[in-house]
Amino acid sequence: MADGWQIIQNNLDVFLAATGVTVQVAVFGLAIGFVGGVILALSRLSSFRPLSWAATLYIEIIRGTPLLIQIFFIYFGFSAISPLLNFDAMTAGILALGFNSSAYQAEIIRGGIESVPKGQMEAARSIGMTRMQAMRFIILPQSFRLMIPAMTNEMVTLIKDTSLVSTITVVELTFVGKQLTSRYLEAVPILSFVALIYLILTFATSRAMRYLEKKYQIPGYGEAE
Amino acid sequence: MNQEEIIRAVNIHKSFKGHEVLKGINLSVSRREVVCIIGPSGSGKSTLLRCLNRITEPDDGEVLFEGKSIMGEDVDIDEVRSHMVMVFQSYNLFLHLTAKRNIMLALEKVRGMSKEEAEGRAMEALRKVGLENKANAYPGQMSGGQQQRVAIARAIAMEPRMVMFDEPTSALDPELTGEVLEVMKNLAYGGMTMVVVTHEMGFAREVADRVVFMDHGVIVEEGDPATIFTRPQNERTRQFLKRVLQDEPGPPPA
Repeated sequence: MADGWQIIQNNLDVFLAATGVTVQVAVFGLAIGFVGGVILALSRLSSFRPLSWAATLYIEIIRGTPLLIQIFFIYFGFSAISPLLNFDAMTAGILALGFNSSAYQAEIIRGGIESVPKGQMEAARSIGMTRMQAMRFIILPQSFRLMIPAMTNEMVTLIKDTSLVSTITVVELTFVGKQLTSRYLEAVPILSFVALIYLILTFATSRAMRYLEKKYQIPGYGEAE
Repeated sequence: MNQEEIIRAVNIHKSFKGHEVLKGINLSVSRREVVCIIGPSGSGKSTLLRCLNRITEPDDGEVLFEGKSIMGEDVDIDEVRSHMVMVFQSYNLFLHLTAKRNIMLALEKVRGMSKEEAEGRAMEALRKVGLENKANAYPGQMSGGQQQRVAIARAIAMEPRMVMFDEPTSALDPELTGEVLEVMKNLAYGGMTMVVVTHEMGFAREVADRVVFMDHGVIVEEGDPATIFTRPQNERTRQFLKRVLQDEPGPPPA
């Protein structure tokens, strides 16, 4: 174990850099997933049928196929379709996670929007707001609060899923863990340390989200009374 | 009479899943008039109200607001709705906003007022309903009666030409209906044009200029409250009034 601790200490800068890459992939992946999720959710709820079908189809395909295949597809497959889509590993990894997450976030956002009482939209429309204004000022602000718990799950899942981009040579935590393990042949301390870093990242995320949930709690609404 | 007319509904039809809820309604409301629509549950009262601002789209017929049809594609229905605001049975205050912000939002976004102007107007409206001390309270922190008064303040702050009330006291505990009816009375005596769907016969009798009795999707009878409540012409009106007035305090109609 002393050996293991020594290895970790000696490679701390490598772990640190790899953690940075993991965080980067997670943050950009979640951001793309959120923007895509909002667009997909609104498309699904749209009364324009083709748009709603297209969004549903996308969501079903993404959720029904393995993330690893999606990552391979974007990294290896897209460049075969067009040279313009020849991404480096990092970009491909972020895009794959973002596209994947957008499908899950879309369902969370849709659920949030649908759980806002119907009367809220009616009240907004009957006082003269347009549909867009009602969405922006009434429905979305309320639904974002309602979707925080489900979003927390999705964020934690995505942080852990970033480990899959190690398979396309993105030098993030899992990649470095595997590399150091095969160099030093000390799997237990190295992989434990890698796992610990993931745990810290996910724990910090869920704590931060708990804080947001409390902070944006609407007084007298949705609280246990 | 005609230039005083604010809204006119012509031959309104509406069906839900093959069930005809409105079977050709004609209704006209004049400026400063208070019209109460009464009738049994399921008679189509609320649907009629909701067809007037097209929150529910009528299948057939036409609504004229201040003499102009509001049915066409080229009509700015949002603009029209902002002049004929609705108060709902379940209040429908925006749950994530304080009382004051509830009132300010449409003033800023629909009327294009500055924040300061909207805030002044909101406080004035809250004063009118006696709730300026609740300006910073959220809907979940107020009683049903207070929420409904804020909803009325939100409506009148728009300075609409007309306010529509959809059973405004039906969701309230009996001891809270009084404060809401009081606010509505003041509004009526202040000259507001009002269309009120209600089960409060006392209110209709005291405040209405005209009472409309609906049953099974048609207007059965309409007239001034004295006539409707004391000498109803139609048998269905008589039966309905007999049923609802039994539960009401005070002397029975002569």
